[in-house]
Amino acid sequence: MRTEGELLEFKDNIPIYLQIKQYLYREIVVGKLQPGEKIPSVRKLAVQLTVNVNTVQRALQQMNDEGILYTKRGEGNFVTEDTDLLAQTKQNLINGELDKFVQSMNALGVTNDQLSSILTNYLK
Amino acid sequence: MENVLEIKDVTYKKNQKLILKDVNLTLQPGKIVALLGENGAGKTTLMRIISGMAKNYRGSVKIDGFDKDAEKKAHLSFTDGLTGFNDSTKIKAVVDFYEVVYQDFDKSEFEQLRRFMKLDLEMRLSQLSRGMREKLIIALTFARKADLYLLDEPFGGIDAMARKKIINSIILWKNDNATILISDHFVNEIASLLDEVVIIKDQTIYAHKSADEIRSNHETIEQYYEGLYDGDEED
Repeated sequence: MRTEGELLEFKDNIPIYLQIKQYLYREIVVGKLQPGEKIPSVRKLAVQLTVNVNTVQRALQQMNDEGILYTKRGEGNFVTEDTDLLAQTKQNLINGELDKFVQSMNALGVTNDQLSSILTNYLK
Repeated sequence: MENVLEIKDVTYKKNQKLILKDVNLTLQPGKIVALLGENGAGKTTLMRIISGMAKNYRGSVKIDGFDKDAEKKAHLSFTDGLTGFNDSTKIKAVVDFYEVVYQDFDKSEFEQLRRFMKLDLEMRLSQLSRGMREKLIIALTFARKADLYLLDEPFGGIDAMARKKIINSIILWKNDNATILISDHFVNEIASLLDEVVIIKDQTIYAHKSADEIRSNHETIEQYYEGLYDGDEED
């Protein structure tokens, strides 16, 4: 999890529960939250992120429904150990970033055909 | 579950002057709700009506379904700026008073809050900065076991550290079923915390919306709030 004092700034024009989900998905994909690891309690997350408990619960509930988290009764929420799902999750995040990249390149007048050669050149 | 607060057709005049008219508002359990409006819009008046301090209004106000003053006061917690205390009163004397007057005042809970807020029991009210005074009010308010907590502009004129402390205490000490109504004329500082916003304008409840519903339209709470005032200058 992020270190104490570091600020996660939420955008106020996107539902907060979606941003909490994005944040946790990212923590899982980069391995800050490991497969099978218990995630912090709802109240702890609420304080850490300066959001209300209902909002955290809503985010965690959806992540449970999506299978990335699972609940052990009375113990809290844990990250899935399903490696296929974790790989898929990482791929989804990568695709999301690529979508944004391609869109902004398109907006600059770069066509999809030109993209791969531009990128190859850039990365040389 | 039963509504925590039900206000029906409330109209309030003070010295012949109309302050609030046709106010209708229902709040459910477990919510953090902002009461927004410009200075003088009637936020404090509405808080005083809900808490039973302002009487002589028309219409009805129910807390947890109760409409008698004594029953209502037992189910809500509101600290009216400590105006009843002499400036030389020590914090510990204020606490003793609260313990006597409110049966649901939990002294050990207050101690936890007091330590969290770093307040010294021996200090006199006159020695408290604006921020410390607000912290004391919050600690006293949350030390009671109530279903509805009213916080009247808790962030007015205080620094960022005190604000953070107060916001954290709201997150940490709020019972899951308790509802908190926080008035403010500026929404940014608490926006991430909110379930709902209620806006007082033109002497009534002008809007009551879910915070994430506003955000789903790609609008910030602040933009939404300020948007309601667009065009007012031309009137």
